[in-house]
Amino acid sequence: MSIRVEALSKKFGDHAAVQNASIEVATGKLVALLGPSGSGKTTLLRLIAGLEFPDAGQVFFHGEEVTHKNAYERRAGFVFQHYALFQHLSVFDNIAFGLEVRPRSTRPPKEEIRERVHCLLKLVQLEAFANRFPSQLSGGQRQRVALARALAIEPRVLLLDEPFGALDAKVRKELRAWLRRFHDETHITSLFVTHDQEEAFEVADEVVILNHGHIQQIGAPSFIQREPANAFVHDFLGLDFQI
Amino acid sequence: MVERPADEHYALIFMAGAIQDLTTARQSARPRRATEEGPLARWTLILLSVGFFSAFLLLPLVAVFAEGLRRGAALYFKTFTDPMVLSAIKLTLLTAAIAVPANTLFGVAAAWAITRFEFRGKQFLSTLIDLPLWVSPVIAGLLYVLLFGSQGVLGPWLQAHHWRIIYATPGIVIATVFVTFPFVARGLIPLMQAQGVAEEEAALTLGARGWQVFQRVTLPKIKWGLLYGVILANARAMGEFGAVSVVSGHISGLTNTVPLQIEILYNEYAFAAAFALASLLSLLALVTLGVKSYVEWRARQQSEQSQISPL
Repeated sequence: MSIRVEALSKKFGDHAAVQNASIEVATGKLVALLGPSGSGKTTLLRLIAGLEFPDAGQVFFHGEEVTHKNAYERRAGFVFQHYALFQHLSVFDNIAFGLEVRPRSTRPPKEEIRERVHCLLKLVQLEAFANRFPSQLSGGQRQRVALARALAIEPRVLLLDEPFGALDAKVRKELRAWLRRFHDETHITSLFVTHDQEEAFEVADEVVILNHGHIQQIGAPSFIQREPANAFVHDFLGLDFQI
Repeated sequence: MVERPADEHYALIFMAGAIQDLTTARQSARPRRATEEGPLARWTLILLSVGFFSAFLLLPLVAVFAEGLRRGAALYFKTFTDPMVLSAIKLTLLTAAIAVPANTLFGVAAAWAITRFEFRGKQFLSTLIDLPLWVSPVIAGLLYVLLFGSQGVLGPWLQAHHWRIIYATPGIVIATVFVTFPFVARGLIPLMQAQGVAEEEAALTLGARGWQVFQRVTLPKIKWGLLYGVILANARAMGEFGAVSVVSGHISGLTNTVPLQIEILYNEYAFAAAFALASLLSLLALVTLGVKSYVEWRARQQSEQSQISPL
């Protein structure tokens, strides 16, 4: 499944959050949206997920236009920065949620749901935590539950909004490596937002750099580092390297 | 609030130096906070609030029960066999049974609209919800008389269709709905604002539709806050006097609610009966207080749970 975004624009009041953005994520790729805060990267991701609707432009999942479809119709797995787990549900029920809310005709039987949830728990290495509640988990564990929950619906694409942003440096590194491994195994088309260029360059196949709602450059990490397209990209990368 | 008065040790220091070791030990056990006032100010404030509370709230409450039971339990319970009293209780229950669910529905809808959507007139709606809190209930009652009464704007039309609102049950229900308007919405709005929409958005991306999101995500999140509002609205609905008094017409056995019946009994010098019935309302208040404390406690637990920091 590929993601294609064409000339997408979104304004909040007078503020142009995303302006005329076009990107393409080829099937099976892991792409990072990188930019300083306020650059419109999260808005772009939310437009793709259907959590916001664009003023202009189109969104396609594998050639099918989804621009005017609601979030619940798009089957785009979304992972939030602050997890957004259902506090009143156990880890098991959190992951099962996307299957339980399906209409009766497409809802898998209870036994199958249980099996799938356990499969996902195994994948994110949280088998022992099925009956815990989100408040009883660490940040890294919560984010893995959030990921399992998003994967349960067998998403057409996976969208991650600063997935490791709220975690401490060590856990962040571990999860980052884990995400890369996970992606290499599943090859699910993924787009993730980050403001951390080290993260973007280490994990992603391709990086999209944004500033003030405009796309500045798209390319493989090595290419961008070798040939920054403009002064902003140059500064943005250079400045961070000095730190 | 249940902290030990830390000033015990000040008194001890004055009394004898011999037990100073003990006092320093206690001092270190419970360090004084910077915001804590000196002993004089503390005790003045505590005495003032406890004294005020006892004189104006506790004492009358005790008096109501004492007065109701003064002529013996037999007479006390006989009050509740009087058909007029029974009819008043029935009407009060009926009124609450309509007003409370109506306002629960309205309150959730209003809180939802105000916290989840941007729209023109949002501020106006938010202000309007509070209106019944500022307007004297008597004025509210009068407004409905002016609107639905026989001399009122809609009076002739209602009469032509043989609909009675004023001096009948519908008027009482409408007046009660008016005064209990704000409780549910006011309780939910700050809660829903604090909780944000992240979980709802997550539910949407997982394929849940509007109603499923409400039922499976929003409702469990606001459950205790909602219950809190409902309890307050119910207490007010059963206890309302002013607005209901204006639209009721005071027809014993027909349009008297419990508070109105209490007044009538009192004016008829049936003190024991008046106080017996009053004690019923007081009991309701006490039960409400108990349930409210429990619900508040649960609501606080829930909000703490949702505010746990990411790590």
